[in-house]
Amino acid sequence: METIAIYGPYLLISACMFGFFMAWGIGANDVANAMGTSVGARALTLAQAILVACVFEFAGAYLAGGEVTSTIRKGIIDPSLLSGSPDLLVFGMMSSLLAAGTWLLIASYRGWPVSTTHSIVGAIVGFAAVGISVNAVSWTKVTTIVSSWVVSPLIAGTIAFLLFKSVQALILNTAEPFKNAKRFVPFYIFLVGFVISGVTLLKGLKHVGLELSFQESMIYSVLIGILIAILGSLFLRRVKDEDQERGDVVFNGVERVFAVLMVFTACSMAFAHGSNDVANAVGPLAAIVSVVQSGGEIASKSVMPWWILFLGGAGIVAGLAMLGYKVIETVGRNITELTPSRGFAAELAAATTVVLASGTGLPISTTHTLVGAVLGVGLARGISAIDLGVVGRVVISWVVTLPIGAGLSILFFFIFKNIFS
Amino acid sequence: MASTGFSDIIRKSPFGPIKAHMEVSKNITEELINFLESAVNSDWNKATESRKVISQLENEADVLKAETRGLLTKSLFLAVPREDILDLIRLADDIPNTVKDISGLMIGRQMEIPAEIATSFMLFAKESASITNAAGEAVDHIDELVQFSFGGNAADKMQDLIAKLDLLENKNDQTEVTLRAELFAIEKDLPPVNVMFLYDIINKIGELSDRSQQVGHRISLIASR
Repeated sequence: METIAIYGPYLLISACMFGFFMAWGIGANDVANAMGTSVGARALTLAQAILVACVFEFAGAYLAGGEVTSTIRKGIIDPSLLSGSPDLLVFGMMSSLLAAGTWLLIASYRGWPVSTTHSIVGAIVGFAAVGISVNAVSWTKVTTIVSSWVVSPLIAGTIAFLLFKSVQALILNTAEPFKNAKRFVPFYIFLVGFVISGVTLLKGLKHVGLELSFQESMIYSVLIGILIAILGSLFLRRVKDEDQERGDVVFNGVERVFAVLMVFTACSMAFAHGSNDVANAVGPLAAIVSVVQSGGEIASKSVMPWWILFLGGAGIVAGLAMLGYKVIETVGRNITELTPSRGFAAELAAATTVVLASGTGLPISTTHTLVGAVLGVGLARGISAIDLGVVGRVVISWVVTLPIGAGLSILFFFIFKNIFS
Repeated sequence: MASTGFSDIIRKSPFGPIKAHMEVSKNITEELINFLESAVNSDWNKATESRKVISQLENEADVLKAETRGLLTKSLFLAVPREDILDLIRLADDIPNTVKDISGLMIGRQMEIPAEIATSFMLFAKESASITNAAGEAVDHIDELVQFSFGGNAADKMQDLIAKLDLLENKNDQTEVTLRAELFAIEKDLPPVNVMFLYDIINKIGELSDRSQQVGHRISLIASR
């Protein structure tokens, strides 16, 4: 109790810095995977991708990031067990931020594919189980989260497979693919608008002063979907059935129709990413803030201050603007084989899965969801070559990240504990 | 900060170098026609020039073959069976190799083509080259097949190309029969060893047509799966 009273402001300031740093790292690195697909498919230029990412990452974080944040903040650890020693929760959350941040820095410096989500969840479980007690961890919740990591790539893969199969049947495998592309792509655009706004609205936007019933949410989502589809149709009018060179890639008319669609899925991907991944940075921060501000009380019911999500969103945008564009460029250059008709299926499937997870408060990894989606398109024979060896490495890194995040956070936790008491 | 590894999941399509390889095959058979024309006219200086070009193109083809194989690492999950692609490149690589053999053999022995069979001989070679061209056209469409997911227009176009290929090959077979008959009629007046090698060259040119046709058929198999 005294620790928090004495060091409160310092703890708060350093927690904000750690949280901002994490968000910055997510913006610099993670966003690239979400946006690289669109840049690689030449649906967006690099500058456009940055702009889209800034706007929609922020919107996703602010409008739909609340549920996952609250899971990270108070879902993994049972706060009631810690009511006697709130300082431990503060130290633990700070260690988690620091551990995940350190690991991400090392991994991205070495070029290893890691997941922010896995490192932060590993870190929180680590300090709670070892530093406090095994019972402090809400294992049922952790089990749900871990199984969602297996399920999310599967769901994304299935959706991507079905989406791409439908594209084959309705557009690519027909006698007049261009005409059919123009006819059906607005429906896919509608789907993008409907799914994203649907999930976001259903979950409720109470913190921005909007409360809607189920029916109202559905009606609004349909309207938003239609609105976006009309907007897309206006863009589609300008697309003519002729080949066009973009960079070193030649696109025929059909792919150029899909490029328009991909602009919309890119927005949804950025939104989905913001809604899920920003929580990795601000979740622990929110936990610290609520303890410090209430003067050492662990009030699990307190409402999260809005500025925390804002800080996370701003951190992502800062990271994106300072370093992210470079990584997006690299990723984009490497995946030119993912043409718009494939890229859209992968992106929409991943975005849908991630937004659904965000709605239920499950922290999942955007990158792994996207990997699942890309495999789904591959299974539908949409991509000429996928390296399963790399997929294997990604999966391994995802498993390895958990004990490393946990170990580091245990280490930091005991260091903090010794410094302050 | 390096990339997060995600982008490495999608690999370069192996069809790029296969297409480039087939382009080389088209060029090398064209050069073979130049070479044979020089040989028929007994212009061995010009033939030597052509032979140089052929050797160079054959080297290029080997590099592209190696590149294709390099792209096909075992861990790859492909839209088309790996064995089919390896088979395709193996068949396709026989074309430049055979051309090199023909030119090497002819230049080494300074083989004269008897005037009596020269017309049929050149017709036979030119038809063979046009079969390679047609196969090349089919290979060019393989990208489109993947792009349109092995269906629709692209698949129909492919079947048309294969039909054209078969037609050319049939005609070529008939020309071969004529050519052999013409050679048979005069063979007793020629040095026996020369005749032996002439038959060998005819066989090799026939092989060129066969290989091209097989390349086309392999692609139609890939397409129809």
